[in-house]
Amino acid sequence: MGGVFHAAILFLVAAGLQLVFGVQKIFNLACGSFYALGAYTGISAVGYFVGHGGPPILFIVPLVAGGLAVGLVGVVVERGLLRFVYDRDETFQLLLTFALVLMLEDLIRMTWGAAPASTGGLYLAYGQARLLGATVPVYNLIVIAASLAVALGMGFMLTRTAFGRIIRAAADNREMAEALGVDMRGVYARVFTLGTMLGTLGGALVIPATAAMSEMGIELIVEAFAVVVIGGLGSMRGAFLGALVVGVLRSVAIWVYPELEMLLIYLIVIAVLLWRPRGLFGTAAA
Amino acid sequence: MATTRREFIKVAGGAAAAGAVGFPAVARAQAKSGVPSDPVKIGVLAIRAGIAAPVGAAGLRGTEWWAERVNKSGGILGRPVQLVVEEESNPKDTVERYRKLILQDKVEVVIGGISTGVTLALGPVAEEMETPWLSWDGTTQKGVEETMPNPKWAFRSVDNEVEAIVAGRLTPKYFKGIKTVAGIGNDYSYGHDCWETYQAVLKRYIPDVKFVLELFPKLGVTDFTSHIAAIQQAKPDLLMCSFWSGDATIIMKQAAAVGLFKSMKGVFTTAGGVHDSLKKEFTPEGLLLGYNTMYFDDPKGSPLLKQFVREYKAKYNEYPAYECDHAYFNIESYKAAVEKAYAASKKWPSKVEVVKALEGIEVDSLSGRRSWRPDHVQMCNFYQGLTTHKNSYDFATINPVEVVSTTVAMKPAGAKLIEWINSWKI
Repeated sequence: MGGVFHAAILFLVAAGLQLVFGVQKIFNLACGSFYALGAYTGISAVGYFVGHGGPPILFIVPLVAGGLAVGLVGVVVERGLLRFVYDRDETFQLLLTFALVLMLEDLIRMTWGAAPASTGGLYLAYGQARLLGATVPVYNLIVIAASLAVALGMGFMLTRTAFGRIIRAAADNREMAEALGVDMRGVYARVFTLGTMLGTLGGALVIPATAAMSEMGIELIVEAFAVVVIGGLGSMRGAFLGALVVGVLRSVAIWVYPELEMLLIYLIVIAVLLWRPRGLFGTAAA
Repeated sequence: MATTRREFIKVAGGAAAAGAVGFPAVARAQAKSGVPSDPVKIGVLAIRAGIAAPVGAAGLRGTEWWAERVNKSGGILGRPVQLVVEEESNPKDTVERYRKLILQDKVEVVIGGISTGVTLALGPVAEEMETPWLSWDGTTQKGVEETMPNPKWAFRSVDNEVEAIVAGRLTPKYFKGIKTVAGIGNDYSYGHDCWETYQAVLKRYIPDVKFVLELFPKLGVTDFTSHIAAIQQAKPDLLMCSFWSGDATIIMKQAAAVGLFKSMKGVFTTAGGVHDSLKKEFTPEGLLLGYNTMYFDDPKGSPLLKQFVREYKAKYNEYPAYECDHAYFNIESYKAAVEKAYAASKKWPSKVEVVKALEGIEVDSLSGRRSWRPDHVQMCNFYQGLTTHKNSYDFATINPVEVVSTTVAMKPAGAKLIEWINSWKI
């Protein structure tokens, strides 16, 4: 069950990464930093809420609101920086998003300090449940449900709505979409912001169960990368399955043979790269 | 709140400006005969980023507090002190900054150094640069034996394993009937060394103890739910954990979420470093918790400690952790050594004379008396005890407070650690 909770968070971040890559063809290393940013903002929002007399049981409301709100930073990043490098070489794009990683880490340290931050004991506010013979915090179940809801919502949006069709069209063939009158600048800004929000939401949702550290984003980028390789770059279903594989396998490895914890994931990454380089769902764009 | 980079620059700059402008006036009036009137420059290396950043901040704050006090009372022999702060990062860059402190800033002593990787690299450089270097932390006994055999200029902190040794000695005292033990620590030297040492010590007290599981998650992991599930499955009587940073808080919280410590005892050798994040809501009573070498709430604490804790809380809204006192002791011992050497020669001592005076010196530090062993190793007390909620804070503290000296919990000069543990008479 621990693995599924981790997978739920990984999915949110990886989904943001996939969405942005699928449409904008930018591999956004800063997705991990957005995750950290969401975590710290969530802590501040919850702290403010509880500090001003809000009932602790409702802490999830300011948590999610804060996590989503800070995702709007995506507009600034896309309009202010990324749009200048769409036509450049991928190396430039990677360097730019990596620069963002470093800047956001410092920004977080300047704003929230270097000491680990957390939401105290609110994690336990919803109590525990017995599930398949194990004790599981109810909060974990809420997050897993929320992540599933996001997955379904994303699926619905991409396949059933006009905006989803535009996104898929833009992912398939940018020039053609543009020629048909789609305002690509608007699409890019919205897609990137949505991708950012998925990351910041993931950060906000994970934080009650853990503590925030300024370098937490870096750790996650590596895992999100494994998810994307396993699932297939640019694929939503890939992000879902990849996150589940990484989250659950890590958990199983710790149970069976702890030394394999990280190695197992990379072994699978290598296997996928050798036998199915496009990933499990690599053919389907977005 | 932790010092932000901007504040940090302001503080460092302010200290420099104060040293250059304000204090020489005082110093000219007070400098003793044979003592130059310009400020004495002290190099400080502090970690600013990553997992040890809070530890670096604590060391720097302890040093700044010392500097402020000393300057208010006339400096060292009437010479004002001026801190020159540089960042400790990776070994290569830190070695460069260390050289810069000595060659360019012309500091008379360097203090600081936390990461083992960095301090091991600094050791030989300190010898080569012929300037005293007093290390805050970061010296596992294994590595030090290899790269700093007979240091002349380097003074190093306590062995990292002392916390595990103290916890190993206290475990049988507080927890009866322990037969099976699981361990979790970070996957690098500190985590592995602590676990190995703890096992060796515990085996001396409980010869038939079984170690049923060991887990070494990578440094920086923030999700231990699977590890905790594995620990539950192994059903040990006791869990030993050497986490010392945010991960200590995280595992405590995630353990509470599944009621881990309802079915087993817990030993956290080092989690006292992040003590004020161990909130009562998820930190149970009755765990053995180590505060390293300074316990902010020591009922027997000196007036100096009480004043420091009060002012620290007022300034940073936090309660100070042990690294403050490693730093305070280092720089206070330097001052004492200069004064001791001056008493003999009536002039400002050379670096060699300072080093001679430092050997064996004992001073009042925040946590009590601390000294330098003649082989340049710090001697002090370690504080551990059982967690309690009976206090006025929103986090757990300890009661009773066990105070164990490095004279019994640290291997003597030249001894091999495990052989020494196995030679104890119990």
